[in-house]
Amino acid sequence: MKKFKKVVALCLACTMVLSLAACGKKNSSSNTTTKEEGTTETTTEGTTTEGSKDQVTIKLSWWGGDERHTATIDAVNKFMELNQDIKVEMDYGAWTGWEDKMSTAFFSKTAADVNQINWNWITSFSSDGSAFLDLNEVKDTLDLSKFSQAALDQCVVADSLQAVPVSMTGRIFYFNKSTFDKAGIAVPTSLEELKTAGQTFKDTLGDDYYPLALGEYDRMILMVYYLESVYGKNWVENGTLNYTNEEIQTGIDFIQSLEDAHVTPSIQTILGDGAESLDKNPKWMEGTYAGIFEWDSSATKFRDALNEGQEFVVGDYFKDMGEYQGGFSKVSLAFAISKDTKYPEQCARLINFLLNEDEGVAIMGSQRGIPLSASALAYCQNNNLLDATVAEANSKIIAWTGFALDPTFEDAKLKGTDGTYYDAFQGLSYGEYDSAKASQVLADGINEVLGK
Amino acid sequence: MAKNAVNSAVFVPKQKFSLKKTFQNNLGFFFILPWLIGFLVFRLYPFASSLVYSFTDFHLFTGIHETGFMNYKEIFTSDKILKALRVTFKYSFITVPLKLTAALFIAYILNFKIKGVNLFRTAYYIPSILGGSVAIAVLWKAIFRDDGLVNTMLGFFGVEGPHWLSDPKYALVIICLLRVWQFGSAMVIFLAALKNVPAELYEAASIDGAGKWRQFFKITVPMITPVIFYNLVTQLCQAFQEFNGPYIITHGGPRNSTTLMSLLVYNSAFQSHEMGLASAMAWVMFIIVMVLTGIAFWSQKHWVYYSDEDGR
Repeated sequence: MKKFKKVVALCLACTMVLSLAACGKKNSSSNTTTKEEGTTETTTEGTTTEGSKDQVTIKLSWWGGDERHTATIDAVNKFMELNQDIKVEMDYGAWTGWEDKMSTAFFSKTAADVNQINWNWITSFSSDGSAFLDLNEVKDTLDLSKFSQAALDQCVVADSLQAVPVSMTGRIFYFNKSTFDKAGIAVPTSLEELKTAGQTFKDTLGDDYYPLALGEYDRMILMVYYLESVYGKNWVENGTLNYTNEEIQTGIDFIQSLEDAHVTPSIQTILGDGAESLDKNPKWMEGTYAGIFEWDSSATKFRDALNEGQEFVVGDYFKDMGEYQGGFSKVSLAFAISKDTKYPEQCARLINFLLNEDEGVAIMGSQRGIPLSASALAYCQNNNLLDATVAEANSKIIAWTGFALDPTFEDAKLKGTDGTYYDAFQGLSYGEYDSAKASQVLADGINEVLGK
Repeated sequence: MAKNAVNSAVFVPKQKFSLKKTFQNNLGFFFILPWLIGFLVFRLYPFASSLVYSFTDFHLFTGIHETGFMNYKEIFTSDKILKALRVTFKYSFITVPLKLTAALFIAYILNFKIKGVNLFRTAYYIPSILGGSVAIAVLWKAIFRDDGLVNTMLGFFGVEGPHWLSDPKYALVIICLLRVWQFGSAMVIFLAALKNVPAELYEAASIDGAGKWRQFFKITVPMITPVIFYNLVTQLCQAFQEFNGPYIITHGGPRNSTTLMSLLVYNSAFQSHEMGLASAMAWVMFIIVMVLTGIAFWSQKHWVYYSDEDGR
């Protein structure tokens, strides 16, 4: 009996060890499916010739919403159908927590072979070119001629083309026209009109109504747009903050003036709404907040969040901000190949399919913004595949903005929730900082990141 | 005597090596091997290496360039980190007593023979299972946002509710409440302890004319002090490591009023990629928890009653 117990216990222990080993089995085809934020999904579904002798397996990772997931999965399946020598595993999820996950993956050399990356990841993860492959090495497979040299140059770090940009993006105003109609005024086309709208909203619709809602990071980007309009110079030039404390203070005063003029709610009001982000804020959905300053690629998210019967329109850049056309555009996201991949040529084929080839572009459409690839853009335009709102916003941004953005602008130490931007603009809005102190906080934080 | 010992050693017959016997003798070791490997690889190694990293400027993507005490110096000079330390202490010293009190109070009530007691026990335990999940965070925000349930109810009485989530004075209270609400596991432990208090003590006290409150403070509490002590230490350790609440409800805001040390460790490690600084902060937290636990252990001789050791 005693012996039997021991045998049973040993069997149980072995089963436990084996089951643990099974959990970590590579190339698992099991799905861990959930659409909640912060969770990921790994799948190998698709039509492949399992066990084919010459077939290689590569992995593609990306973040996004459900629509992007569906489009990318379909495109990858099509790729595998057309390229039966390549099997693609997919790893995807929501943005929340994705950057944290990827940073550890790149550090531990466990990242996917092909990765959708944020533009600033090139400098954050691979400032010496150690994380991403120089795409010039696969230019025979990946057709780089479809991309403008200016766009490609934005992904060159350490003399290496570390990624291929998918689309350009910038911030622009969007308005809920229905709320403006209710207030009896037109959507603002100038700063003056925007400021007047603040008072009109208050008088006609009530204290809760605002023509523009700005979070901390939105305020930072709008301030830079304002300062570039006034002073006509890049925010950071050659790794140095290009504005004096007095000039930054002018920008801070501008942001505060919007809050004082009832144009934008205080940070406390927005936080008090208890929403994870503006597009999930009931006040945006029902039109109490009637404007945002957002990326063109986020247009559909905000538009679709509105309650039925509300009209979402793309705003204009304000010509009365200053003498110059302020604002910047940047690479919204890019595809990069991990330097450790065993199959760079196959990875390049996949990227080329998704970005340049008609079959891939037809499925992907504008899921990652307006394509930068000339052939993809032409195909989308000819086949009416672009979202009209995104296309309108993107064309306005490309036509207006001319200033460059330094990748450190998006450094986590600056834009994180405990970072400098949050500290400066929350401190200002909560009344803890005056504009001089807030500009000092900003300058100090930015200089620290720039290593000055 | 020594000679005898030597002789006896000489006469011990040489044991033949037997694989089977060795295996049988070490069977227990094999059983714990999976755990042991996990402990060494996933606990001890990171624990030790984090101590080494804490004395470096280890950055996830640029490596190590400098060694020394700079991280510890930064911890004790940075306003942000010092504020996080203060907030963590405040959080722990609010939640632990409140949670223990709530758990003991509810356990005491549920120890009475009342109808449907099992249903109540389950209901009170459920929050501990739900814990700091995303769903609960959404619920918490819905309850405490400016036009949420609490302020709407206060509005019925003509009271204008505060900005629970966005006022630095109240935000920490909301995070504390989430923790206190999860008193179920401590309650179950208290319940088990209450059931072990001998009934004759209460009978004797009743005969002597002691009321329920007196019985509670003079019999119940002293008899369950070992369990109170256990819950105190475990809850203290957990409170200092709290992460989910501030991470998913307030993201550490507003004005860093809910930024606990664990959140700062996470942000430093996985967002700013400053592993050296994150390791140093984790070690400071570890030392603080160790000191507080040490104080708790030292103090138990003054207030914890162990019935199997002649009272002390």
